[in-house]
Amino acid sequence: MSTTDFDPSTFASVRKGNAFQDFAVGQVFEHHWGRTITDGDNAMFSTAMCNWNPMHLNAEFARGHGHPDVVVNPMLVLCTVVGMSVEDLSEAGGPFLGVEDCTFHLPVHPGDTITARSTVLDTRTSASRPGTGIVTWHTEAHNQRGEMVVDFRRTNLVAMRRDAS
Amino acid sequence: MSESSLSSLTSDAAWFESFSVGQRIRHARGATVTDVENNFVSKQVMNTAQAHWNEHYLKDSPLGSGRVVFGLITASLVFGLASQDTAENALAEVGCDQLRFKAPVHQGDTVHAFTEVLSVEDSPDHDDAGLVRFKHWGVTHDDRVVFEGERTVLVKRRSHWADR
Repeated sequence: MSTTDFDPSTFASVRKGNAFQDFAVGQVFEHHWGRTITDGDNAMFSTAMCNWNPMHLNAEFARGHGHPDVVVNPMLVLCTVVGMSVEDLSEAGGPFLGVEDCTFHLPVHPGDTITARSTVLDTRTSASRPGTGIVTWHTEAHNQRGEMVVDFRRTNLVAMRRDAS
Repeated sequence: MSESSLSSLTSDAAWFESFSVGQRIRHARGATVTDVENNFVSKQVMNTAQAHWNEHYLKDSPLGSGRVVFGLITASLVFGLASQDTAENALAEVGCDQLRFKAPVHQGDTVHAFTEVLSVEDSPDHDDAGLVRFKHWGVTHDDRVVFEGERTVLVKRRSHWADR
């Protein structure tokens, strides 16, 4: 096929994400991929975020506090856990409203592998924004030993599928 | 590294004893959100929402055109800009709460951090450190409050750590 024959309408579009109607209270999502957080991830993230604390960037300092290596910046852990949940929970559209009650239960060290899952806590329609709902999830993340490293509640606006009520 | 040199690596400031309820801190440095902080890091943390890294996706949307910054990156940057003054001598980050993303941030915006001390309490689990709860604000170069959130840090007591 030459480029002059290219017609994008002949390709099936891939859709990502869930709409408001796809969420029911109690539903559990086991999120995709998992992530081994490396020393490079932590060094890149912590420096980019202006967090030069030696607990995150000086391994000898962290060892002096009883850690086997630097402590991964917990905000990198939180960002990664939310990142892995986005396709299931919020990719289909709607601003991020907030995070409540986020607890960093255990330190994460380079080489640890994090997986995430979320449970739907609440769904409601938005009186002020027709076509949009508000969904709250409880998200938790575990390391490779099955220990919970972080959990929190997250709330987003979520678009409704247009072809349904 | 010997333990006796730990305290030589951090400032003699921001100890547990340094904080008092109601204290307000305007942090010294602001940071401009660029491809590094938002475009790269959004993908690094596997945030698949392309509004954060596709310049043309949001064209003329209510969020504004161009790449909108992942809210938790704004939060991370505000916490980072506040870290030297609030966590220089921290033992651990304990958690955060009531994070609110008040308005969209776009690449090219500059973020500044402000902090108020909400509480200063003993830790039931640590003699050598206590719990300090902060409220942080993220404010852009054009004076828009784009982020608010609380954060709890386990901060070393100077009495136990200054000579270590």
